[in-house]
Amino acid sequence: MTGLSFIVLFGVILWSTTHFMRHQIDDSVANEIAEILTDPQSRDPAGLATVVSGLARHAGGFYYLLQNSAGEVLAGNMRGLDPKQGIREWADGPRSETPRGSTVRGKGVVVKGDYLFVGWSTHQLHEMEEMVTRSFVWGLTASVAFALFGGVLAGRRIMRRIEAVSETTRDIVAGDLTRRVVSSTTGDEFDHLSASINSMLDRIQSLMGGLQQVTTDIAHDLRTPLSRLRQRVESAQRPDVSAAQLREAIAGTVEEIDGILGIFGALLRIAQIESGARRAGFATVDLTELLGTVAELYRSSAEEKRQLFLLSVPDNLQVRGDRELLLQLFANLVENAIKHSPPESTITLSASAEAGRACIVVADNGPGIPEHLRAKVLQRFFRLESSRTTPGSGLGLSLAHAVVKLHEASWVLSDNGPGLKVTVSLPEIVP
Amino acid sequence: MRDRRNDSTMRVLVIEDDADTANYLVRALQDEGHDARSQHNGRDGLRLALAEQWDLLIVDRMLPQIGGIEVVESLRRSGCASAILMLTTLAGVDDRVQGLNAGADDYLVKPFAVAELLARVAALGRRAERSGAATSLSYADLVIDLLSRTVTRAGKAVELLPREFSLLEYLMKHAEQVVTRSMLLEHVWDVHFDPHTSVVETHVSRLRGKIDRGSAVPLIHTVRGSGYTLRAAK
Repeated sequence: MTGLSFIVLFGVILWSTTHFMRHQIDDSVANEIAEILTDPQSRDPAGLATVVSGLARHAGGFYYLLQNSAGEVLAGNMRGLDPKQGIREWADGPRSETPRGSTVRGKGVVVKGDYLFVGWSTHQLHEMEEMVTRSFVWGLTASVAFALFGGVLAGRRIMRRIEAVSETTRDIVAGDLTRRVVSSTTGDEFDHLSASINSMLDRIQSLMGGLQQVTTDIAHDLRTPLSRLRQRVESAQRPDVSAAQLREAIAGTVEEIDGILGIFGALLRIAQIESGARRAGFATVDLTELLGTVAELYRSSAEEKRQLFLLSVPDNLQVRGDRELLLQLFANLVENAIKHSPPESTITLSASAEAGRACIVVADNGPGIPEHLRAKVLQRFFRLESSRTTPGSGLGLSLAHAVVKLHEASWVLSDNGPGLKVTVSLPEIVP
Repeated sequence: MRDRRNDSTMRVLVIEDDADTANYLVRALQDEGHDARSQHNGRDGLRLALAEQWDLLIVDRMLPQIGGIEVVESLRRSGCASAILMLTTLAGVDDRVQGLNAGADDYLVKPFAVAELLARVAALGRRAERSGAATSLSYADLVIDLLSRTVTRAGKAVELLPREFSLLEYLMKHAEQVVTRSMLLEHVWDVHFDPHTSVVETHVSRLRGKIDRGSAVPLIHTVRGSGYTLRAAK
């Protein structure tokens, strides 16, 4: 592209300079012819010859020719020409008696049968052409050389960068998910590309990790209920089993299977949430209404345990997210609080807006979670010793945590002195 | 087999590729008194659905030849006004929303209890009959005004909280039909997961307390293994 514009530029400059010069020549020639013809002496052919001779003697750069219809030279400093009228130029012009160059441009006119030609040397013009062409050629050569050289250098650099990326991806394909593309400090396009590739690799690594987690959980922790189920069905096969016992065994089996399906569903849900696929469905959520619904869902449960349930939420609190997932999140937290607190405790669900963030707090004054276990409760299936006898699969908090991460919210488990306090913080949307 | 042939009998077409599941569904529907058939792929199912009149179409989401979503979309585009219940193993919210957007009226995740299916089938049957412009509903001596949100039983006013009113409204719209726990959670609370609490049971008990107290005829009943129903018991 650069070369092309270079050539075009060259062409334009060359043409315009030579055109200008030719134009100048044409103007001078025209003026000279006009002067000759308007000279009073030129009214008759003999006088015209005198004028032309006089001018030819002090040529000053002009070429003159006056020849008669027979082709005989009457005056001037040129040899005879074929009497072509109009502007003419020839590169290999007739030799003249003056030692100027051999190229002429001029105009020929017929005056009362005689042919008059006035011209000017195009020597300078050709020199100019040559000079312009020469400089352009030098310039082009130099820039092509530089470009080639620079290109080779840049090309080598790029090849090195590309090779580095290829090597990294080869290692990753071979199984080392921890490798990342090294970026330079220049901040050029390659660095942007490297940064994108690296963040994509981070994502892939975390997805792979999540996948491994799910398969491990399923393999390890679903064996227990499945084994239990098998035992139940196997004992129902004993020959001494009554019809009533069989019916009971079948009912119990269905119940157990439902429980297992529930665990599967929750695990898959967690995996789905963790994969971030749900973010596409985000919309504005009325947190006030949502927390009100959560309170409603669980208030009666709390009351059944003679617990005091307090709700304190400001009006019109809005956040961005998935309504159903947020509902599930706070439902899980409240459910947890109720389940793990003894009768007569107080459960609080409250929210506030400060500094552009909505803070939701679920607190109880039950036994709480010991500090060293607070990170572990987020693991799937982990259950505190004290809760092992209560129903549930231990997935509630991991599901809640997955929802929090999906919403890029923050959450904190702290001591409510006594009890557990869970604080979830989300960016608020001010309507 | 119960003899339930009455005006709530429906012509049901089940489009399900797994033969066992299809037979299970057809048998359950027939036991309930409905006239049920099945097809095992999307193309044949779509053709039969358009060729005859059906009260309800039960369409599995994963079908060979033409997928469930596409079948539902085609049916709606052709002006089919039958009720459509979609069955699926996909339980995500987006999956449900996608199914409903395609034109399904209800969406049930496998596996499900027969009672759940039959309750939803009955509810979908009634959906066509309802005019939608009613301003009040009544059953036995119970009357609710949908505009003023007030309730009277045998002429006497009954004080209900807003949620209790919505609950009663739903029960009345499905009077004498079984309404499951999940149906109530979905339609009264707009909650699409199971909170595993007694929230529904508790609210129904409270409602029953207010509605049936002091009356000779209890209207709100628990149907063991299925759900609840509003019915004037004999």
